[in-house]
Amino acid sequence: MIEAITENGERREMTINMGPQHPSTHGVLRLELVLDGEVITRVKPHIGYLHRCFEKYAEKMDDYAKVIPYTDRMDYVSAMNQEHGYVVAIERMLELEVPERVEYIRVIMAELQRIASHLLGIGAFGLDLGAFTPFLYLFTEREKILDIFEKASGARLLYNYMAVAGLMRDVHPEFKEEVSDFVKTFRPKIKELDDLLSYNQIFIKRTANIGVLPDKVALNYAASGPVLRGSGVKWDLRKNDPYSIYDRFEFEIPVGSGEMGTLGDCWDRYIVRVREMEQSLRIIEQAVDGMPDEGDVMAAIPKRIRPKEGELYARTESPRGELGYYIVSDKSASPFRVKARAPSFVHLSMLPAISSGALIADMVAIVGSIDIVLGEVDR
Amino acid sequence: MVSAFKNSWITFKSIFTGMGVTIRHFFGPSVTLQYPDERAVLPKDTRAKLYVNIDDCIGCNLCARACPVNCIDIETVVATSDVDLGKTSTGNPKRFWLTRFDIDMAKCMYCDLCVHPCPTFCIYMVPEYEYSEYDRTNLIYHFSNLEPAMVAEVKEKAEKEAAEKQRQREEMMRKKAEEAKIKQMEAKKKAEENNSGENDAQSSKPENGDP
Ligand code: SF4
Ligand code: SF4
Repeated sequence: MIEAITENGERREMTINMGPQHPSTHGVLRLELVLDGEVITRVKPHIGYLHRCFEKYAEKMDDYAKVIPYTDRMDYVSAMNQEHGYVVAIERMLELEVPERVEYIRVIMAELQRIASHLLGIGAFGLDLGAFTPFLYLFTEREKILDIFEKASGARLLYNYMAVAGLMRDVHPEFKEEVSDFVKTFRPKIKELDDLLSYNQIFIKRTANIGVLPDKVALNYAASGPVLRGSGVKWDLRKNDPYSIYDRFEFEIPVGSGEMGTLGDCWDRYIVRVREMEQSLRIIEQAVDGMPDEGDVMAAIPKRIRPKEGELYARTESPRGELGYYIVSDKSASPFRVKARAPSFVHLSMLPAISSGALIADMVAIVGSIDIVLGEVDR
Repeated sequence: MVSAFKNSWITFKSIFTGMGVTIRHFFGPSVTLQYPDERAVLPKDTRAKLYVNIDDCIGCNLCARACPVNCIDIETVVATSDVDLGKTSTGNPKRFWLTRFDIDMAKCMYCDLCVHPCPTFCIYMVPEYEYSEYDRTNLIYHFSNLEPAMVAEVKEKAEKEAAEKQRQREEMMRKKAEEAKIKQMEAKKKAEENNSGENDAQSSKPENGDP
């Protein structure tokens, strides 16, 4: 056994591994923790367990459209948003006009997926900290979203629903009704979640003042999404660099305020996600109202995708942050180079900066609060 | 002291608020499906398993080419001129025997990309999800309905016909070549007759240039 203090009274550091099979590392992540007693002095994330060669694969597919199912598998918790990012990039390369109806359906899908993803993120976060019940209740709600997706696309998790300038199939006739129903039933659930978890004192004690990420550090690491907003920076690509038709909707950008402790702690990052779900509901309501009933969603899909020579970086707001696709075309059938800028990867690289000095028991809270998906980290 | 009481009070209050939610859910409707006894009704176009209506397949290979993971394996043999394979229900004429149409469902990722290009709508997903197997090879579904003997027969026939066609083509080519040669020679002769004088003048030029 290694002791923290040796026989002649010197301090000794201890290195332990957290993961890759640890249940709260959200996939397969190995954290090498260097401890001084119970205090973490250094953290080193080891990644790559889920590496599946996304970039090389995309170059070898001989078709831009064949890459879309793969983007689903990068961040399998928010597959719709991943697809959305990729098709937006290709559409900009081809300078395509996207039909109105397609845009509206896409926005509804993307926002529903954002809620589903946050539900999973929040639920798992609570679960990591010992709150089992919210996880189950949130999953009940998530299930409803997946049911809508299943009816529309035929799949529950990896949809392959968005195509370049179109959708793979039209939504079912009851789509609008179902979405409005969901919005109605989901609103009160957020209040319930607040009662159950957000303002629960045990939960606050375990998350407030933990893993503080100052806004300067966040910006230096190029953090984005709820992690950056949790530090009080108002930055949302849907507002700051609108893509698709997000400039038509009215919504706010919730930011952390240090309500329960320090600005940028785990609780702030958590509550930003909760508030974002409310905003997503607002967007969905507006989109359902504005969505045209008629229109062929498959008419504009190009038969052959051959962008002209050049390169492009398109970024979208995924539930985890700025999801960017950098695509280089050499006029052939497959992209010359595809690089995905995954927010989870960026946020994971930030972990050493925010967790040194924390207690080992809080490591779980910190990892949970940055809400990473390892499929996206490793790609 | 006072603050300790206050803190405890807040904590208890928040716990009981949470408990209230739990109790409300306790008396709410149950949402769990007891799986083997109850089964969810899936929407009719759920993507769960691929099915090919082989009678309607024209062997165009479009689905196999669309598949990102190459799990569709199609082998076709041209139908010989003495058989008529008929038409599909969509009215497309069938020109190929489908001697092999295998889909490896273990490899398939249910992306639906093979379904859309099919001109006769004969490959599609069915909402059937209980097909696990102990052996992975059992997940390769064979859709071709030809007997092995039949496969051998049509292959042989097709080979014969192809060889015959090849022979005919060669014969034709040879004939054509011969005809062309004759024509060429005739043309040459004519040309020589017509411009013999001119030709002489031209051909004498380089000779002049030579020292
Ligand atoms: S569903 Fe996708 S992976 Fe499966 S056979 Fe069709 S194209 Fe291939
Ligand atoms: S695309 Fe349709 S018709 Fe063509 S080979 Fe595939 S299943 Fe047959």
